[in-house]
Amino acid sequence: MISIKNITKKFPTITALDNISLDINEKELFGLLGPNGAGKSTLMNLLVGYVNADEGEILIDGERISTDNLDIRRKIGLVPQTLALYDDLSAQDNLEIFGSFFNLKKSALKYVVAEKLNMVQLYDRKKDKVKTFSGGMKRRLNLAASLLHDPQIILCDEPTVGVDPQSRNAIFEYLIKLNEQGKTIIYTTHYMEEAERLCSRIAIIDFGKIISTGVIETLLESLPYSQTILINKNHSTEKKTELFQKFGELINEQDKYELKPTNKLKLSEFFASMEENGINYESIEIKKPSLEALFLHLTGRRLRD
Amino acid sequence: MKTILNLIKKDYILFWHDKPAVSLTFLVPIILIYIFGSIFSGGGSPQGIRMAFINNSNASVAKKIETALDTSSSFKIIKSYINDKGKEVKFDTNSVKDFIRRGNASAALIIPEDAYTDTSTSLRLKFYYDPKNAIEMQMIQGLLQQTIMAEIPSVFTASMQRKAESYLGMEKGSSFNRQIASVISKYYNVDTSVILHGMKYSFSDSVGSDSSRKAGNFFSNILQMDKEQLVGANVTSPDATRSVGGWAVMFLLFTITGASTSLFDESKSGVILRILSSPISRVQILWSKYLYNISLGCIQLFVLFFMGYLLFNINIFSNFLNLVLMIIAASAASTAFGMLLAAFCKTAAQASGLGTFLILTMSAVGGAWFPTFILPPFIQIISKLTIVYWAVDGFLKVLWNGYGFMDILPYLGVLIAIAVVVNLVSLWKFKRGTIL
Ligand SMILES: Nc1ncnc2c1ncn2[C@@H]1O[C@H](COP(=O)(O)OP(=O)(O)OP(=O)(O)O)[C@@H](O)[C@H]1O
Ligand SMILES: [Mg+2]
Repeated sequence: MISIKNITKKFPTITALDNISLDINEKELFGLLGPNGAGKSTLMNLLVGYVNADEGEILIDGERISTDNLDIRRKIGLVPQTLALYDDLSAQDNLEIFGSFFNLKKSALKYVVAEKLNMVQLYDRKKDKVKTFSGGMKRRLNLAASLLHDPQIILCDEPTVGVDPQSRNAIFEYLIKLNEQGKTIIYTTHYMEEAERLCSRIAIIDFGKIISTGVIETLLESLPYSQTILINKNHSTEKKTELFQKFGELINEQDKYELKPTNKLKLSEFFASMEENGINYESIEIKKPSLEALFLHLTGRRLRD
Repeated sequence: MKTILNLIKKDYILFWHDKPAVSLTFLVPIILIYIFGSIFSGGGSPQGIRMAFINNSNASVAKKIETALDTSSSFKIIKSYINDKGKEVKFDTNSVKDFIRRGNASAALIIPEDAYTDTSTSLRLKFYYDPKNAIEMQMIQGLLQQTIMAEIPSVFTASMQRKAESYLGMEKGSSFNRQIASVISKYYNVDTSVILHGMKYSFSDSVGSDSSRKAGNFFSNILQMDKEQLVGANVTSPDATRSVGGWAVMFLLFTITGASTSLFDESKSGVILRILSSPISRVQILWSKYLYNISLGCIQLFVLFFMGYLLFNINIFSNFLNLVLMIIAASAASTAFGMLLAAFCKTAAQASGLGTFLILTMSAVGGAWFPTFILPPFIQIISKLTIVYWAVDGFLKVLWNGYGFMDILPYLGVLIAIAVVVNLVSLWKFKRGTIL
């Protein structure tokens, strides 16, 4: 059980975390969602005792985290946001070095390294230097390097940045498996899709404050509408934005519009209007609202700008 | 063509933003050229070379030489020393030898009681020296001979007279005397430097080889120098032994600076975060870096000295324990220097740029490349503030003088003191820095 109590962390020019409180349960896969600069990595660094907070405290299983509490770190595995690997060394050498920091016995270390390399499907490449790896392979190795001491708590700080869909899926699978094995995981991201796919409970963080926390479904129920309307962009829809805006707030996405309907919207009226204006049904999709919509609703801003 | 110009422009922009590269291209050479320039311009004659001196003779020529030395700006003449009880005592032969052996000066000139008596046919002087430095010894001997020769035309004529008298008999001799005297004085009036040059030749010939006081030259009969090398006479490979320390120390500093700035790479790549999320503290990281650097420095120095042994037969084993102590102290001080750079610089590039600059400057003024005595006096003061100076001199004391533990203690002490003080400063800086 991780208990974050009234944490404030200031940097010279900015308050990165502003009086944050959060409880994370054992064996949970918890999502921490927020835009760039929200303070996610800062919170991760505090959780592992890399830096100390200015105010408040963090307890893990009742034990207080600080830069001086070294032993508690055996329970925690941090997957850093920046690739924390020695580029000029092989995958195997990297893992053996990082494993040695936990004073594993030589035979145990060899075994664990092989196991983790297998897990992230890099065993065949174990002798290759990290700098010859693709972005996705490095990310996988970065994850493996944090799991050598079999931590109970895994802190993933945007572990899929710059990764191809294939590696991303693989990383998701590893994490889901680890969670099933009983590990507590905190997953940090600014991709709402990732949070939606992986986590049951999330906290949304913005400008160092937690603006919402809870089970995703419950959070979405708090929105004033229960579905959004997605409209594919094409020659006929792109000329009709004014028409759509009559039915609610229109968000301009890359290849579609997302319409957040007003409270009183009746779908039958909407579709009738579409028909009148010659927009075919194929362009239209009704969906449950996304976390993106929730973030917009809470902050008035997009999650990713 | 436009494309190529744009590409060139891009390279200049990149170059200009790479401050270490800019400073290595312009600033470092300018400063080093200035240092070298100020050494080798200005007539190239150094000031205030320390030389011990005893005058036991009553002869007027002895007095003249003493006055000339006293007033010469090239020499700083030392006639007394501070004894164990803190009292100032005039040198005698034993104490002056000791003075040289202890490295307090590289040379001593003694004018013995019988240097020049009424019956002498030549001026006899004694010269003790420690050629710990070949350039220095050449300069001292050259300068010394210039000074003495300028004072002895009187000796010269008198000696010639006596010689002629003893060879030719009294009567013939005196007429010969007159003739030769006029010839000689005329000769002098015409061109003194020619004579001096000739004398210099005879003098230099015998430098470094005491046995070879060649009598072949006319002038060497007039001035007889009894030379005795007090230090390093048994050193197997003098030139290599004298220079190995300087080069080793300079490369040591480069190695250590490189190793220390690895902290930047680890910090940049986030590996530091990974290490610190293991059960490892910042202090442990610093200690490990420190010990790693010291041990790497020791290994490097040992290998370099060992190569000196293999290639030049430098005798590293006769005083091995003290050499090891010096190696450790030099590595510790150099590591402190490297860590200081890491603590105060913001990037690896900055650290290596500044490091290169400081190392080259310290090597130049600290005596790694040439002896510090030829530097202007104010730079010599700076020399003593550099790690290079103490390390180079310490290695010289061990390998050249064969000093024991008590005698190298000051060098060990200064180096360790530098290490401790500098480390406290960097520790303080690390605590408020961002690298860790
Ligand atoms: N060492 C530091 N010194 C000064 N400011 C910092 C430092 N680390 C973080 N910050 C600032 O604190 C704020 C939060 O940064 P943080 O890295 O926690 O954000 P984040 O949520 O992880 O963002 P991202 O999604 O881009 O990784 C930012 O404004 C950042 O500039
Ligand atoms: Mg971050």
